[in-house]
Amino acid sequence: MKLDEIRILPPLAIARLGNADEPVNNYDLQVAEGRPLGYRTIVPAPTLVVDEASGAIVARECRPVTFKDAGGRIRPVAPFLELWGREGTDWRHLTLDDLQGAAIRWRVTVGNIKVFRRTGDPNDRAIATTEWFSEHARMPLAGRAANFLPGKSIPFGDVRFLRPTAEFPQLRVRFTPAHGYVYGSDAFVRKPDGSYALDGGGYLQPDANLRDVVYDASKGRWLGHNEVVVPNTPFEPTLTIPPQIFAGASGTAPGEWISSGYLDDECDGIVEVEVGAGETRLRAFARIGAGPPAFAPDSYPIRTVYDELEQAMLGPTIAEGDYTDDELQREAEEILRRAFETIRLMNTTLMNGNEFPEGIDIGSTMLRQDKNDAARAWEPIMAPTLVDNLAVESLHQNIVGVLRSGAPPWFISTLRRFDEIGDLTDLGRRKMPAMMRNADGRYLCLTRRQHEKIRIASLQFASRGGKRGTP
Amino acid sequence: MRSRFARHLRSVLSGGPSSVGMLRAARAARPPISPELDGHQYAIFLLRVAAGIEHALMAQYLYAAYSLGGPTVVERHRATILGWQETILGIAKEEMGHLITVQNVLRLISGPISFDREDFPFDAAFYPFDFTLEKLTRASLAKYVYAEKPPDWSGPLADEITKLATAANHEAAPNAVSKLYELMIETLADPEIVPDRAFRAETRSTQGSWSEWGRGYAHGERGNTHGASPAGSPDLIIRVMSSRQDAVDALREIAEQGEGTTLTDPAHSHFQRFLTIYQQFAELETAADFHPTRPVATNPVVEDALSEHPSHNACTVITHPVTFYWAHLLNVRYRLLLSGLTHVFQSAAASARPTARSELITLVFGEMYKLRGLSSVLVEMPAHRGGDAAHAAAGPPFEMPYTVNIPLREVDRWRWHLSMLTASRGILEHLVADDDPARRAFAAAIRDGDRALIERIERVIAGLEPGDMT
Repeated sequence: MKLDEIRILPPLAIARLGNADEPVNNYDLQVAEGRPLGYRTIVPAPTLVVDEASGAIVARECRPVTFKDAGGRIRPVAPFLELWGREGTDWRHLTLDDLQGAAIRWRVTVGNIKVFRRTGDPNDRAIATTEWFSEHARMPLAGRAANFLPGKSIPFGDVRFLRPTAEFPQLRVRFTPAHGYVYGSDAFVRKPDGSYALDGGGYLQPDANLRDVVYDASKGRWLGHNEVVVPNTPFEPTLTIPPQIFAGASGTAPGEWISSGYLDDECDGIVEVEVGAGETRLRAFARIGAGPPAFAPDSYPIRTVYDELEQAMLGPTIAEGDYTDDELQREAEEILRRAFETIRLMNTTLMNGNEFPEGIDIGSTMLRQDKNDAARAWEPIMAPTLVDNLAVESLHQNIVGVLRSGAPPWFISTLRRFDEIGDLTDLGRRKMPAMMRNADGRYLCLTRRQHEKIRIASLQFASRGGKRGTP
Repeated sequence: MRSRFARHLRSVLSGGPSSVGMLRAARAARPPISPELDGHQYAIFLLRVAAGIEHALMAQYLYAAYSLGGPTVVERHRATILGWQETILGIAKEEMGHLITVQNVLRLISGPISFDREDFPFDAAFYPFDFTLEKLTRASLAKYVYAEKPPDWSGPLADEITKLATAANHEAAPNAVSKLYELMIETLADPEIVPDRAFRAETRSTQGSWSEWGRGYAHGERGNTHGASPAGSPDLIIRVMSSRQDAVDALREIAEQGEGTTLTDPAHSHFQRFLTIYQQFAELETAADFHPTRPVATNPVVEDALSEHPSHNACTVITHPVTFYWAHLLNVRYRLLLSGLTHVFQSAAASARPTARSELITLVFGEMYKLRGLSSVLVEMPAHRGGDAAHAAAGPPFEMPYTVNIPLREVDRWRWHLSMLTASRGILEHLVADDDPARRAFAAAIRDGDRALIERIERVIAGLEPGDMT
């Protein structure tokens, strides 16, 4: 074996839950030629078609893209992970021939430790592992925890080492995630005080949310777990921000939130591979995870995992020459495009804190967050007249249109900097992205690197006009 | 200046007794400045003159700012010139704030709003100087400094600038804007001239507010990326008013932002900001490698047909066959912007829910953004058939439409906007075939955006009450 090192690519793959048999076919998002201010179009891209019986790839072709099957079931996103190797300076997607008879084996370990995150009980960690394998069958990922009922597990999906063929000799595995079901701790609905809820006839109510009861409530304390957040007092530092984000109900005392004992089948973990011949052992690993389906698959959020990773990898600043003027201009346009795609999904009048016939504070908004966290007076973020959804979207589309003229972005000061997320002044709250919460509970901002790209793009003459007259 | 304005200002301009004094005198049975105006009308008249001046200054400052830049700017001057551009754009935005506040005063005292202004060329009269769209030069800066100067500014530099500004204004002495504001403040402050009953607090909700129009331009929070403007600027003054005192305070604030006599930090004034640029310009212009601007046209205009024979002596007729359509497009979108602005100030009051007012304000800002893009295109395009932009570029013509009035009925007002989009569509048919890919992409984006805008306007029309339709 002449290989110097191996890698699994991509090093991070995120699957999406779904209970249909067939995964989503591959696709690209493109801006349609004649609709530069329209939404992106989903365009079929080459898809690897796997034969269920043999585990071999039998075709690579563009197929229609649908997100549900004929039965209305959601198609999962099931990513492929490829084995690449380096020989000298040459990196290539490996085949069995490249291994020259060396043994190859895989191991996948994933877990869901959401309950442990709440209870702190290590016995609440649900872990699944395949142990080492080399065969081409589906290897189930059965998540088990010490606090589960005997013999019970949560299926986290499976992983499969695809059978190389003459037509598709490259080495790869595929992770197919779980179906997106809810699991529980009791077959019947319980009230926050632990007693059973009865229907009108005095009968126990089966919990219709549950796929299966897996959690042993007599061993673990998840069912009925009480996460207390006393109003107007500092949070416990161990809590998530915001806290109490699990299925449950209010308790009798102020600030109590009682768990319904639910679990889900999301997971994340690592895929390991080992290639060995004689004394030589090459190893690599990649990360996988499974999240909920995309319900707006033709758009991107303002700030994505990609943006986080890019910043983690390349840093928050940009050196001269890292990007051309045109690349930075496209970056600015991309942010604005994501903005109007996101606005499409928002109820901007409600999120702005406008008054409705039902009153104010009728939804979970940043205004409520500002009021609860900082005792800020209730006050709409923007002028209430200005936040009509289509109007706000149109305004952002107009900016994309002007950027297409080559005029540099002029809105850098309206973007919220990373150190302004807690600025609750009128001006601070109106910065962009507006009305949205980051994972830290405060106003969303771009990554520092995203911000920096737009800042540098803006340092051009307003009359620059693209490349034509670059000073 | 058109005689319908000038004839009411003769005594003011001739340096005779102030018109306010004459109005007071009128009450003592002496002839007033104009027998046709009472005090209330006179205040409205002055405010409309002021609106025209703010509008004109804004257009000229924008033109000057967009003339800056281009391939002739060498690296060592780049930061300075970028700073000038941002500073002047900031001042132009503040003029927009002044214009809105003046409209608010007009609303407050029940006067007709005005987004009209003189087109060029016209004589100065009460206006600071001849309206001229031109690239930024030391001479044009001298005019801007003079127009914004405090009344008592004197000294060798003042003399130098006065001389240069006068020469640049065809040897006619320019006027300082402060004179008009002083007169307006004096007029509005005096209950003998404008009675208490003229101030209508109930108009508040129909006035333009900072939260609707400010766009974050407060205390230098926005629009000073290069740090060339003094900290705390630009700062848009948009005041909603209920009383005489509110109006007087707002006008005083505007005047102070211009001349800076009583500002805590006079460096924030337009006068001082222009003066700083003037001094820097004077220092740099002797350098052989100092070429801060593009060779944009002076007073570019576009005829309704391509002409090889310019008809205006003081103007530059755009005859390049592609530039011609871009310039027309800018004029149509400028007209749409002005119609939209007029419509907002004549529309229903701001409310707790989005209304058609929201659509209008969005339309106005959308058109402002487009004017920005169109200006950046036009300063890079040749003015003349067969010419090239490196020697004679065009520039945004900002030509006033034949009317800024809008129809009486609400439904017709929306149809009015639609008709401009129809005209725009005809022009865009030419521009989506432009040879330049970036310009072509811009034209395609405008056309795409217009498609959605037309749909939204049609939805507004469909939702109007039957009473508005007939």
